[in-house]
Amino acid sequence: MSASESQFRGPSTKVRQRHLSNRAIVNLFIWPTLLLLIAMNVFPLFYSLYLGFTNYSAITRQAPVWVAFQNFSNILNDKNLWGYFATTGRYALLSVSLQTLVGFLLAMLVREKFKGGGILTTLILIPMMISPVVVGLFWKLMYNPTFGFFNALLGFSDPSKAPDWLASRFAGQPMPGLALWAVVIADVWMWAPFVMLLVLSGLKAIPEYLYEAAAVDRASSWFQFWRITLPQVAPLLMIAVLFRTIEAFKSFDLVMGMTGGGPGVQTELISVDLYRIAFLGQFRTGPASALAYIILIIIIAISNLYIKYLNKSKGEG
Amino acid sequence: MSTIELRQVEKKFGDLHAVKPLDLTIQDGEFIVLLGPSGCGKTTTLRMISGLETVSGGTIWLNGRNVTWLHPSARDIAFVFQFYALYPHLTARQNIAFPLQAQGEARETIEKRVDEVVKLLRIEHVLKAHPGQLSGGDQQRVALARALVRRPAAFLMDEPLGALDADFRESMRSEIKRLHVLQHATTVYVTHDQIEAMAMGDRIVVMSAAEIQQIGSPSEVYNDPSNLFVARFIGSPGMNLVKGKYADGIVKMSGLDNNYAVPQAWKGALKKGLADGGEVIVGFRPEAAQINDRGNLVGKVYASEMQGSSAVLHLTINENEIIHIRTDRLIPFPLDTLVHFDINPQMARFFNPKTEAALKPEVTQ
Amino acid sequence: MTTFEEVGPRLPVVEPTRVDKVHPRAKWGKSIRVILTLIVTFIMLIPVVVMVLTAFKSRADIVTPPPKVFFHPTLEGFLYLFTDRSVFSPANLAEAQANPGDLNYWQKLALSTGQKINGPSDYVGRLKNSVIIAGTSTILSVILGLFAAYAFSRFKIAGKDDLLFFILSTRMLPGVVVTIPLFLLYRLLGWNDTHVGMIILYTVFNLSFSVWLLKGFIDEIPIEYEEAALVDGYTRLQAFFRIVLPQAVNGIAATTVFCLIFAWNEYAFALMLTSETARTAPPSIATMLGSGGLEWSAIAAGSLGFLIPVAIVTFALREYLLRGVTFGAVRK
Repeated sequence: MSASESQFRGPSTKVRQRHLSNRAIVNLFIWPTLLLLIAMNVFPLFYSLYLGFTNYSAITRQAPVWVAFQNFSNILNDKNLWGYFATTGRYALLSVSLQTLVGFLLAMLVREKFKGGGILTTLILIPMMISPVVVGLFWKLMYNPTFGFFNALLGFSDPSKAPDWLASRFAGQPMPGLALWAVVIADVWMWAPFVMLLVLSGLKAIPEYLYEAAAVDRASSWFQFWRITLPQVAPLLMIAVLFRTIEAFKSFDLVMGMTGGGPGVQTELISVDLYRIAFLGQFRTGPASALAYIILIIIIAISNLYIKYLNKSKGEG
Repeated sequence: MSTIELRQVEKKFGDLHAVKPLDLTIQDGEFIVLLGPSGCGKTTTLRMISGLETVSGGTIWLNGRNVTWLHPSARDIAFVFQFYALYPHLTARQNIAFPLQAQGEARETIEKRVDEVVKLLRIEHVLKAHPGQLSGGDQQRVALARALVRRPAAFLMDEPLGALDADFRESMRSEIKRLHVLQHATTVYVTHDQIEAMAMGDRIVVMSAAEIQQIGSPSEVYNDPSNLFVARFIGSPGMNLVKGKYADGIVKMSGLDNNYAVPQAWKGALKKGLADGGEVIVGFRPEAAQINDRGNLVGKVYASEMQGSSAVLHLTINENEIIHIRTDRLIPFPLDTLVHFDINPQMARFFNPKTEAALKPEVTQ
Repeated sequence: MTTFEEVGPRLPVVEPTRVDKVHPRAKWGKSIRVILTLIVTFIMLIPVVVMVLTAFKSRADIVTPPPKVFFHPTLEGFLYLFTDRSVFSPANLAEAQANPGDLNYWQKLALSTGQKINGPSDYVGRLKNSVIIAGTSTILSVILGLFAAYAFSRFKIAGKDDLLFFILSTRMLPGVVVTIPLFLLYRLLGWNDTHVGMIILYTVFNLSFSVWLLKGFIDEIPIEYEEAALVDGYTRLQAFFRIVLPQAVNGIAATTVFCLIFAWNEYAFALMLTSETARTAPPSIATMLGSGGLEWSAIAAGSLGFLIPVAIVTFALREYLLRGVTFGAVRK
């Protein structure tokens, strides 16, 4: 078979091609991405930092006025704001721990394969793929004290004796914190399957022969769980916890769909408050930027942990 | 006394017959090897003995006790896995001590026994490490120590050397055998490596396609294979098997006009044992053939292999059949030269091509 | 079934550690698991089921307690979602009902609720925006991400780990933090409430994700194929297009779908940086107002439009889900 009969179009050796050096390729491939990211992320960060030191308001036509650290000190002295941080922290704690627990239990339940298990698993993964604001809306409907399904499913047939979740009332009496729990429940609903998926993948990786050796050695079920199952799954759980904690601090869409921060300020997460300061009412851009920076630092700290942990587990894995 | 008896033990996975009903008696203190290619059922059989696999039929007896439905931990056996199966989050020492702890032994007893086996296996230096930090050989030694520490009635080993480097495998082989002799323990050892089996076993159980093909000592399975499978599987290279037609004391081998005069002892058996047309397979080991310029048989050189003090000569007998002859003649054998040889009459064997079974010589006494 | 010969004392069976070992009794354990899993799955899906049901309920059915499971389905919700209507005055209503004339299904439906269709609602336009913005930005972010991922995967780059970390970190920022300066920047550039502005934003938003995910996929393609190609005389670029790309198709498809979903679902940026022209669907859905508060059937109908593609996609991508949601950090 001569070269001309070959169906395979091999490289052209006739014409000496000008081809890009490796260096050029790398540059060509990476720089557009990097430039975009820098322009849209780094630059705004610096600009935002600058704004944090001013009292600029986006709706006025006045130029920004330098106020040095005033915004920052206002924030740090604002009790309300600390309250919002606390709310966000509480939300993150409750949500992440419940997600992890439920997800883990789900994984232990689903562990053995059975027919249709794949479909079922896929079905309960749908919640995390839906737009969070839409999820917030579903749950808002479900939580409605008059015609929502949630109370009905729990067995409350008389609305006057039932909890009004999003208004933090129970049988007519105020029950503070209920609304936050309502949001937590919705968040757990969305993300517990994610934890389940994560844990399942870890469980799959445990070799069967470890359990068999334990069987021969007459190891107790507790030992098997503690010494074989858990150590294998723990790194993945850590990833889930860190990842979801970061996301919980950033949480915005879900709450906006469900409560908008209410009732009162019971579900006023820090990102919601930021939105309110910057884009509603007086558009206090300067102070908002300062607050944004503080939030940023907190999240960077947590993210650092996450990345470090990722790399460590990748190294071992 | 730690005898193991398998009575009509079989295993089915759905429709798949992984182990056809088999009978096996293992003597006290014996080192028996289950040998065969992947999928032959040897590992499944071992796992049924251990209790890690349930039986689909038959019974298993350990020291006269019916252990068929007993949990593995109640059978007084130790199992050594191919991939060591050491608990990753315990140190080597904790791994070894573990079975005794699970049994509730006293602290001093545990310490004493652990020290004993550690010394026996010479792993003092790895005790504090975690399995992930150890080499394959050390891990396997720790796994062996863990098995030994309980002094069980029987040791069951599932290809324990399979995951080790070649050089390690040889030294571990002799260690395991040495341990066996010192402990007088009944050992059932599974492997696909026939060299290993021949080196270590008191008896070898050759298995293929879910059935036992032959049970015998290494020399028995080597010199008197009971069928074609065993003849091919045992020995490297395997036994030479040449097709031919038998008539009146002569086997005509196709190609190169070879007429092989059958040894006297076999003539009657061949007449009786073969179908019409007299198709037969002649079997002989590479050592059983001798190069002899006046030999009655001839072949054409296909390739030759120098193996140090001896050489293996590959000859074509006809178009498709290549036989291997071991010789200590180290002169060069150019390709395509004709070489004459003889088959040692004591070491010739014959097989029925249809049944694949070996023919037995008549005992003329 | 063979019968077992039992000779000798039967010793007590120790509790098995593997459910399917030893005793037939163990089979029950498995059935319990199956039932439990079904129950849990059902519970988990209730909100979705509720939402789907609500999309087909009439206004009355939704707001009257107790919540109904059985009802007369109607397409009212979709009517409210997609059309702009006005209420008939009582006089005109009577007249319209008396002379139905040649009305199509939707008009008849509107009539039954005492309304007249004026034309398509804003939502239709918002949906279009969503499609355009999500679609374009996805294409851009996947293409750019692909090139960058290849470079990161195959070449030694100074500070590669730091660069990758930087790319990942951009996704870690809370959206609100970045929006404030972006809002001002866009205002300066005239990009507020424009398709261009949103497309660029979403492209960048998804870029860090697509780079990480695609790099993971490309890492899994053995480099030997390209090396063989180089030896055969291909240039690096040719090897990339002819060899790496075809093998990465699965990964590219998965990444594309993930990017699409994230862009489609995105709410915060859309809320803050758009108002009319370029507003996408998510912010619109949340504020569908009817005569007595939130128009739940319309909201549900709109949410259904979000749910269905997601369900299809989740099923199609089920093997990649874990990888996708953790930015490629976890691979089963």
